[in-house]
Amino acid sequence: MATRAPSEQTKEEATRGMVESREACIQVTDLNLYYGSFLAVEGVSMSIQRNQATALIGASGCGKSTFLRSLNRMHELVTGAHADGSILLENEDIYAPNIDPVSVRRRIGMVFQAPNPFPTMSIYDNVAAGLKLNSRRMKKSELDQVVERSLRGANLWEEVKNRLNKSGSGLSGGQQQRLCIARAIAVEPEVLLMDEPASALDPISTLAIEDLVQELKQEYTIVIVTHNMQQASRASDITGFFNIEAAGQPGRLVEMGPTEKIFTNPDNKATEDYVSGRFG
Amino acid sequence: MRVGLQEELDQLEASLQEEGELVRRALRGALNALDQHDEELADEVIAFDDEVDRCYFGIETNIQSLLARQAPAAQDLRLVLAILHNNLHLERMADYCVTIAKLTKLVHDAPQDPTLTEALEDMGTRAEEMIQTALDSFANRDVATAESLVDMDELIDGANRRVVHQILSLSADPDLREWGLRMLLVSRCLERIGDHAVDIGEQTAFLVSGQFREFTDASH
Repeated sequence: MATRAPSEQTKEEATRGMVESREACIQVTDLNLYYGSFLAVEGVSMSIQRNQATALIGASGCGKSTFLRSLNRMHELVTGAHADGSILLENEDIYAPNIDPVSVRRRIGMVFQAPNPFPTMSIYDNVAAGLKLNSRRMKKSELDQVVERSLRGANLWEEVKNRLNKSGSGLSGGQQQRLCIARAIAVEPEVLLMDEPASALDPISTLAIEDLVQELKQEYTIVIVTHNMQQASRASDITGFFNIEAAGQPGRLVEMGPTEKIFTNPDNKATEDYVSGRFG
Repeated sequence: MRVGLQEELDQLEASLQEEGELVRRALRGALNALDQHDEELADEVIAFDDEVDRCYFGIETNIQSLLARQAPAAQDLRLVLAILHNNLHLERMADYCVTIAKLTKLVHDAPQDPTLTEALEDMGTRAEEMIQTALDSFANRDVATAESLVDMDELIDGANRRVVHQILSLSADPDLREWGLRMLLVSRCLERIGDHAVDIGEQTAFLVSGQFREFTDASH
């Protein structure tokens, strides 16, 4: 067998170096999330790397979606929900008293589990909706450009360019989800959060979304919550595993690292059991 | 708990051990045929390779099916990959046994040197031990035993070098020259079986640690 020259790196070493050399886009430190007095997520600290796809996996009820929603302050929309600890977006505390949650949500967009285009709006207006709500007034020609760029970015332009004025609800499920992604990226967020974005889609549409994640991360930082471990292993660079020790206990981040390592040789026994499908 | 996956993994491991047993029988048959100049037994060893090949293809097919359906991860994935490698190592060992049997047929009525025959029998016995040690280390996830294969391999390598010197000293004798050249290949086959046993040991270490490393640096 050929031997390795001392200067050569293994793939894992190269991946590890890549992860360490990137700067954090979001830095989470000692985050606790509550629903009223119930501690749902405890003590999460993690760095989310810029222009990487980070997958969050774990069994139902482990707090991964709650954590995801805390990243753009949607968690607090539930009555009684609150957070302590810190989340820095580009070194800025998004929970600071002077920060408007709406401005956070413009910088950190969200795509939900079920495609939710505005049903009475056209395809064009669905994409432009966020711009109209969030931004300065734009000329029609400028708006046209943003809509086209966003639909191209979501790999939907070719399929809808001749029916932009038709209702968004007339699209297939996979197309609707890509329309929602186009709507999210139209406002040019820095981060895109995706909560089970393909769980309601057929396998072909699912792969289209996963391919899209690979393209989107060139421009945006992606955080994706998924129950589908194959999806996490296919679509992400970094994977974080959340777990709860027992019902009623808070969810915790158990292990986080390069996706390849998490799925081939994780450090933690619970991670090993989960990715092997032996519980959850 | 994934009962179906675990059952399939257990079955794959059992098939690999079964293949290992077939290879050990093939090697013993090849060594006996060589020692006893038994052309008929050599033919049996050659035909017996079909049994090993059947086992090899069965494991290959089952791994292909398991990967497609079960998508194993972590240690389960490493186990499947290690079995895939070990399956090939065992199949190659069986091919070396066939080569020894064919060489035996070519020289069965030629004059021989008993000292050299004895040295080859010793090498073969060591190779048998190495196959067993490699398979035991894998079954028991025993890295220390797997690493002991390196020392065993050095003994076989040393024996191979001594056999080469003995054959060179025979080359002046025209009656023994052809037989000697054939035995050079037999010695090489046994030495290679030892190498494959070490490779199986390396798969044991990979399975346990998740890191692949060669026990010895072949470039030195």
